[in-house]
Amino acid sequence: MLDNVIFGDNQFFGINHMSEEKAEALTVKFRTLKAITDVIDVAYDNGIRAFMFNTHDRTREICDHFRSNPKRYSDIVLYPSMPYAHKYANAVAEKGIFGAINEILLTDSSAGDILGMIGKGSKMLFDKDVIKTMQLLIDLEMKMFRGLNVKVVFLQNIVTDLLLGFGMKEIFVGFIDYIKDKYGAEVGFNSMNMPKLVAFLHECGIENPIVCSSINKAGYFMNPDIESYEKTIKEGKFRPIAMSVLASGAVQPKEAIEYVCKNLGIKSVVFGASSTKNIIETKNLIESFCCTAAA
Amino acid sequence: MKLKAGFIGFGRMGITHFSILNDHPDVDVVAICDESSTLLDALKKYIKAKNYSDYKKMIDEEKLDFVVISTPTESHAEIIRTAINNNVHIFSEKPFCLSAEEGKGIIDHLSEKPLVNQVGYVNRFNEVFVEVKKLLQTGLIGDIRNFSSEMYGATVLKDTKSGWRNKKKMGGGCMYEMASHCIDLAVYLFGKPDKVAGSIMQKVYSSDVEDLVSSTLLYNQGLCGTIHVNWSDASYRKPTNIVKIFGTKGRIVADKHAYKVYLREPSPEHGFNEGWNTRYITEFAESVRFYVRGNEFTRQLDYFVDCIGKKEFDNTASFAEAHKTDSVMEDITGDAARSFDELADFVPSQTDRKRSSSLLRKILK
Repeated sequence: MLDNVIFGDNQFFGINHMSEEKAEALTVKFRTLKAITDVIDVAYDNGIRAFMFNTHDRTREICDHFRSNPKRYSDIVLYPSMPYAHKYANAVAEKGIFGAINEILLTDSSAGDILGMIGKGSKMLFDKDVIKTMQLLIDLEMKMFRGLNVKVVFLQNIVTDLLLGFGMKEIFVGFIDYIKDKYGAEVGFNSMNMPKLVAFLHECGIENPIVCSSINKAGYFMNPDIESYEKTIKEGKFRPIAMSVLASGAVQPKEAIEYVCKNLGIKSVVFGASSTKNIIETKNLIESFCCTAAA
Repeated sequence: MKLKAGFIGFGRMGITHFSILNDHPDVDVVAICDESSTLLDALKKYIKAKNYSDYKKMIDEEKLDFVVISTPTESHAEIIRTAINNNVHIFSEKPFCLSAEEGKGIIDHLSEKPLVNQVGYVNRFNEVFVEVKKLLQTGLIGDIRNFSSEMYGATVLKDTKSGWRNKKKMGGGCMYEMASHCIDLAVYLFGKPDKVAGSIMQKVYSSDVEDLVSSTLLYNQGLCGTIHVNWSDASYRKPTNIVKIFGTKGRIVADKHAYKVYLREPSPEHGFNEGWNTRYITEFAESVRFYVRGNEFTRQLDYFVDCIGKKEFDNTASFAEAHKTDSVMEDITGDAARSFDELADFVPSQTDRKRSSSLLRKILK
């Protein structure tokens, strides 16, 4: 069962889809780990247990903090989303995709055990086996969450949508199988093209998939259009998680949550906020509309 | 009948374009060409398109309707000429060519052929910049007198010897890679400048190419602007464009996500008050058929495919438009080289004139 309220992390890493100015202000606000954990504590102390984290370098520090305080965060449930693509963007631009993957796998000190698996004399791994390479990358990204309660692992939208365009069914199936077998977690996909992705996942034979996408009254980041989203949600053949419900502030909170939870009957919402007031208000709105929704 | 597409170059941009077009209802991607077989070998079992390592062979054998070129800039001209000779429509990554002369030759050659041609200047498909251009055309801020077009990113934060980015001859360096976008945005909004002055190309971390480009663009009708580009600025999470435009009736400040308008008097027909007005992209963004990495990437390719279908050759990012940007880049490079000695005491970090490309030596002759 997915949590109703999932606390997102974009605000911590200076991401704001509406304004570069606001994004910059966020990076200043969350310069220190304490500034981040203070906000997490507000969310936690107000009853939020589920947290979505991109595999940003700072997430490692946040996870260390959770591990150091096991009693404080005894009920915490994590929804990691990987990979944090910007972390790799420059390596990819500089060395190409394979060069970057090799560098990531070979230079990461925590990947020492991987070297043994690759075997000597095999400089290029990717061409040998795409699925195996993916598994090594997953292990690298998952290391930061060791010992914590991971419920659903998401494939981040840039990668999901790129692979969706390629139509690479084996990768989607391989991702799910590996996460389930090795980490005992469920798998979700973030996407900017939810209707197309859901249809594709069904084609792959994946039943009732978890898909997290922007869902908001403004139709922002909903491709190809809001009508296709509403239709796919009404068909009820997947587990939707809504994000960007406020469309970066374009929709008022009450109206936004009412549309997502009451009108569309969505039971699970990711949101990010920095102030105590916004955190409490949004959480209460989601819970009140989720509980009263007919669907 | 679907349009048959071939891809040449399968790096980061080639892969993005492929993902976007592979899904297009009117396109059938039949072939992919890349010199490195590693990627294609790995993907072979997942992709139905045929693999080539020689683009001439691919164009020759596949009877393509169009090609998407995403190779280092150095190779563009030759590939484009081959495509033109085979009557294939062309989408090429930016910049267009490494020399204005080469680009001019291609445009002359192309003028006899009904072929759609487009260069990947995505800013021309960003909703905010398209909107800003419309506003300027309505005269909202009066006569435009001054602008700045800036671009920043954390692309190069150390000296990298590997890869084509650090090789001027292949189209590396901040000018071709990043400043091209910033200059093209100025060309898109204001046209090609008549003269450039005060150009400086500086190194920050790179040993062989420039990391910083600045210049003043001058227009005959009394407009002037500056460009300022730095690809070694660690303070930016991702590449960022900022345009500031000053006119007799007000000012516009825009980036990819929002624009602000300052007006001395209200403009009810545009819905703007006196003073500052802010519009966020959430208010006017339009969804796309299939999103990969940004609306504008899909929009530019769908527009290209539409142009082929409609036989529309007056393309908003045509070779002729991209050639203007190439010419400005060449002018700035020449201007910076000419004042190199004069400025050497003031700006010791200028890119070394001795290491400059054969192209530059040609300009300086």
